[in-house]
Amino acid sequence: MSFELVFQQALNGLSFGALLFILASGLSLVFGMMDVVNLAHGAFYMLGAYVALSVVQLTGSFWIAIVLAPLALGLLGLAIEPVLLRRLRGRHLDQVLLTIGLSLVIVDVIGQLWGREVRSLAAPPGLDGSVTLIGGVYPVYRLFVIAFGAALAIVMSVVYRRTKIGRLIRAGVEDAQMLGALGVDTNRLFASTFATGAALAGLAGVIAAPVFGVQPGMDTDPGLLYSLVVVVVGGLGTLSGAVAGSLLIGPADTFGKVLFQDVALAVIFAIVALVLLLKPTGLLGRIRIAR
Amino acid sequence: MIEVRELRRAFGGVVALDGVSLKIPEGERRAVIGPNGAGKTTLINVLAGELPPTGGAVRLGGRDVTGLRSWQRARLGLAHVYQRTELFPPLTARENVALAVAARSGPYRVFRGPPRSEHADADAMLARVGLAGREGVLARALSHGERRQLELAVALAQSPRVLLLDEPTAGMSPVETARITELIVGLDRALTILIVEHDMDVVFRLADRVTVLHEGLVIADGTPAEVRGDALVHDVYLGKAVTVA
Amino acid sequence: MTRLVRWTIVAVAAAALVTFPYWSAAWESSRFATTLLRDALILAIFALSLDLLVGRAGMPSLGHAAFFGAGAYAAGIAGQRLATDQLPVTLGAAALVAAVLAFVIGILVVRSEGIFFLMLTLALAQIVFAIAFQWTAVTGGSNGLAGVGRPMLGALDLSSPDLTYVLVAVTFVLAALVVWGLARSPFGRALIGVRENERRMRALGYDTARLRLSAFVLAGTMAGIAGALSAYSTRFVSAQDAGLGNSVRAFVTVLVGGAGTLGGPIAGSAVVSLIERVVPSLLPPELRLSEAILGVVFIAFVLFARQGMVGLGRYAWLRVRSR
Repeated sequence: MSFELVFQQALNGLSFGALLFILASGLSLVFGMMDVVNLAHGAFYMLGAYVALSVVQLTGSFWIAIVLAPLALGLLGLAIEPVLLRRLRGRHLDQVLLTIGLSLVIVDVIGQLWGREVRSLAAPPGLDGSVTLIGGVYPVYRLFVIAFGAALAIVMSVVYRRTKIGRLIRAGVEDAQMLGALGVDTNRLFASTFATGAALAGLAGVIAAPVFGVQPGMDTDPGLLYSLVVVVVGGLGTLSGAVAGSLLIGPADTFGKVLFQDVALAVIFAIVALVLLLKPTGLLGRIRIAR
Repeated sequence: MIEVRELRRAFGGVVALDGVSLKIPEGERRAVIGPNGAGKTTLINVLAGELPPTGGAVRLGGRDVTGLRSWQRARLGLAHVYQRTELFPPLTARENVALAVAARSGPYRVFRGPPRSEHADADAMLARVGLAGREGVLARALSHGERRQLELAVALAQSPRVLLLDEPTAGMSPVETARITELIVGLDRALTILIVEHDMDVVFRLADRVTVLHEGLVIADGTPAEVRGDALVHDVYLGKAVTVA
Repeated sequence: MTRLVRWTIVAVAAAALVTFPYWSAAWESSRFATTLLRDALILAIFALSLDLLVGRAGMPSLGHAAFFGAGAYAAGIAGQRLATDQLPVTLGAAALVAAVLAFVIGILVVRSEGIFFLMLTLALAQIVFAIAFQWTAVTGGSNGLAGVGRPMLGALDLSSPDLTYVLVAVTFVLAALVVWGLARSPFGRALIGVRENERRMRALGYDTARLRLSAFVLAGTMAGIAGALSAYSTRFVSAQDAGLGNSVRAFVTVLVGGAGTLGGPIAGSAVVSLIERVVPSLLPPELRLSEAILGVVFIAFVLFARQGMVGLGRYAWLRVRSR
């Protein structure tokens, strides 16, 4: 294997990892705060990409889409939490089941509204070229993805550790019920958390679209499958878990596909299995058993 | 029968058991008392195998069981009645006890014995603890006192050699307390019983010997009369600041 | 109702079920009904196996299709590679492969509970699906495995629609009997104990991890058999057979019907099959929303009728009786 190839694949792995982080962080956040694994997360991711398609069709601007799509998903999340999830407050398993039903509905409706063919979204002008690096020619857009992911991680980390909202989130992740007893409006908190998780999924959908395309099935692959694998491996409910997981799975998957092609996912299986056997709560996770 | 050597159990920085040693011969009824936070429930949980110790050893019937899990110790004849009621709520009292009876023969039998014999055994056990007539009632529909009786029935249905009772009379009225106490008094003398209790009347009625725990250490060990007269125990219970060397 | 009367009714109903294509031959939509019923029965076997986990043992698995798919592929591949169509061989291969896969995955997931267990089964099953989808050399990849052999029993060719149906119906009756027997056995009762209070079960001397693993392997094997039947029916295996959609489908079936009961998964499979097959013909052709409808029905049950149709039935029965 030539140096160029390795370098390119390393960058591919990093850009995939960055994308996975944007995607998985929302799932991890919602679980950490609400003890709910939102299985409609992949559907939100998919919806984000499709909404971006329409926005770009209407306005011609990728950058407007990158703002509007997460916004739309956030509003959807804001509507779903109080209407559906809140009724099941305290019944965590049932909430998860409800998100399954949501996923069925959303994915089918997407197919109905946008059709079931494979679509694509072009990278915005300015980011659609290639650049020559040490290892050869590389698409600018993928570098953008890496930068965006890193920036988002830094921003989230700062918010998490230094701001009032961050403290609220950290406390909520520890013990949401306690927060309620302390007078925090948990209804608003949970609704905004769920909305943020949805928005992050939508954001990931937009960013991923120029690289992975927009097509049926994207809600599970890469959507739900990879976000679940990342949080299972990295650890649920923590920001650092999402980072660790994405940095591990992104490159592992990329190199796996290059080296093993057809059975690349066996590599991922092996990693998940290893982590489960050695540290069942994930590399940086906390013990969470919710019924 | 029960032997514990230098048992230690820490939870992060909190030391619950700080080197507890005990020896309980077969057939003895030992009460373990002490103020709140002394480590009594931790001791029972370590003995039962639900909590691994961070140091020390546990022996049951002369055999080192420190590495054995709770279900393995149960198979060796250990029964555990929890501090907080732990039953199977949607099952009837009879079904609860039947699970314990069935445990003896294991669940993988292909040619199963008819459930009737298990039910008959269960009913007999229920009658013994004073729940005759309540066999078909769902566990969650029983009163608190009845649930504690059921707990005892379930434990006894295991045909144990060692019985660990964690505050069996907690939350009971005087009438219920007296009933449970007499029940325990009337148990087979070959059964080794370790009982954690707060109610001193129960202790003096039941116990052959008493062990006093304070802050994870044994501070007194003797007959009920001896312990009653022990000055250190008095101080501990009266809340005086006591440092135990 | 005495036991004899009850068993006679069951025997008659089973016989009617198994011989359905023959006594319904006169009806117009008999062909369609036979196919619909066949697929519903396969789903019922699949759902019954999942209910062992979800309803009895309290193990909510969202990856059960991995075993269904594994059984389907094994039946097809074994037939092709071993150049045989004999049912005992291909069905045996399906059961064996599904059992081994269930054992491997089981070891990894059996110590988790609740939501964590759900996620793990989902993730691991998805990986199995992805392998099936990409391993074109063995499974045919995204094109699926075509040319699954006819199920033969000695010289008897079971590939005609009627005989395939009989094969499925007989297997269903056997599966239902097995599940019924299991529920009343010490093993079944122990599983309920594990579901209700695992800690207490361990204190009673039950090795709960082993119990759960046994349930998992048993359920997986049964799902694999259902998968094989599906392969025989359509003579084709699609990667989607092992996909999340199929796992969700089974889960929805169990919950809508009523988890933890014998009749629940069976009733659920009737409802789901109707929604999937009959409802689309009632809608205008541009609207293909059967999945969305399924999703809405599922959400409704989760919110308002958690115990499923069986639960609703019990509730109605109690209300009627108390008048």
